[in-house]
Amino acid sequence: MLFKMFLRSFLLQAGWNYERFQNLGFAFALQPALEKAYAGGDRLKAALLRHLEIFNTQPYMASFVLGNVARMEERAAAGDQDMVKHLPGVKQALASSFASIGDRIFWGRLKPMTVQLCLLVWAGCGFYGWLFTDMTETPAFGVLLAGPLSGIAVYSVFSVYIRWKGLKAGYACGGSANCALDAANWPRLIRLLSAAGFAMSLAIVLLAFGLLAGFNCGACRPADLLLKIGLPIAVLALHRVARAFGRSVFFSAGLILAASVLLFGLLKLEPFKLYL
Amino acid sequence: MTLALKALISSALAGLLGLDSVQAGQFLLSRPALVGPLLGWLNGCPLEGAKIGILLELLYIDFIPVGGVVPPNGTAAAAVGVLAHAAGGLAPSLAFFIGVAAGVAYSPVEYRLRAARSGLNALIEAQVAAGDLRLRRWLARALVMENAALAGYVLAMTGLAALLGLLPGVSRLYPGADFAYSLMPWLGLSGLYFRFRTQIYKKG
Repeated sequence: MLFKMFLRSFLLQAGWNYERFQNLGFAFALQPALEKAYAGGDRLKAALLRHLEIFNTQPYMASFVLGNVARMEERAAAGDQDMVKHLPGVKQALASSFASIGDRIFWGRLKPMTVQLCLLVWAGCGFYGWLFTDMTETPAFGVLLAGPLSGIAVYSVFSVYIRWKGLKAGYACGGSANCALDAANWPRLIRLLSAAGFAMSLAIVLLAFGLLAGFNCGACRPADLLLKIGLPIAVLALHRVARAFGRSVFFSAGLILAASVLLFGLLKLEPFKLYL
Repeated sequence: MTLALKALISSALAGLLGLDSVQAGQFLLSRPALVGPLLGWLNGCPLEGAKIGILLELLYIDFIPVGGVVPPNGTAAAAVGVLAHAAGGLAPSLAFFIGVAAGVAYSPVEYRLRAARSGLNALIEAQVAAGDLRLRRWLARALVMENAALAGYVLAMTGLAALLGLLPGVSRLYPGADFAYSLMPWLGLSGLYFRFRTQIYKKG
């Protein structure tokens, strides 16, 4: 039953809607547990309708709630009517708590780290197309895929593990509003991921400036080199200032494009290449 | 294989991969960093596909899909960007910026699809109340709709990009677009750096 729920949890958001969010996917994932607990009839119907109500949490962490609710429904089917009464409150409390943890871990940290991993793998393989947009030398297709796939593999292994672990942990302690919240040391994990992410970011930025200086060093005058290093710094500063004013990255991208088209397209200034 | 057929297959593949972003799996198979090189390879330009893909990824990583927020769609951006270059004949730099715009412009489409599904709740409840407990077909219907919408959108935007390429004077945009394109890695790296720097300073 748990394995069926686990497989179905991958479709949690398939029916995402603005009225009740993940309700359809949640009810679908929970269905094997409900069918086992109630074995058909009006009680099964009533239970399924209960879970077609509003539900929303971070998709990978939903399994903690799923496991918990499956256990609560089992106890309700066995005659513990308090479970039905407490179910909406417990479900809501867990959904909010796990959403907050999951958003920080997966969206805020792990997802950007997959990009960092991609860039580092590419750099390790000697592919710098992510920095040199003029680069024309095509590496092996395997190298091009190795970057994104390495990040995706790490991310997916962890997310699938959390889905399975969450389902089992939730099912083991089902019935309380703080069930499985201590399944891991979440604050420590979040701090570790932040530190690792920052270290990798720093390494990538330093590598990028090192490559920029290295590719231009000796090939142009010091004044040109300064300009070529100063321009990326200006871009970094522009992005920082735009963010401080609540503007998204697209604002900065649009500004750079508009200024470039104006200078090099309409005013016909001679464009220069950042890299030689 | 003709360009049109390749564009059609690529759009269908983008629609399929796009399901991974929200609807099914969420293994990050829909991210531009992967969609770019894959569609690039399919269309004979893996290097440009990878470059467009990773640069879009660096910009799009700035957006987090928390709550009911519909962030710009990275799959649509990468697919349109790569196809605008491969099938539309535009320079990679201009194709990239068209991809950026296409990803942003897909958000309202995605919003409408999600909003339209709200109306299904009453139907599903009525079905369950009547004793039919099969929820699978509603999920399948949602998946097919999302897939078709994204594939159709990518194909339509690729067609528009190809038409843009036929306009006189487009080549005048290239020097500026090329220069701006060469600065995009730095804009993306900036986002990546400041995201984690802020987290460190906030202490988790």
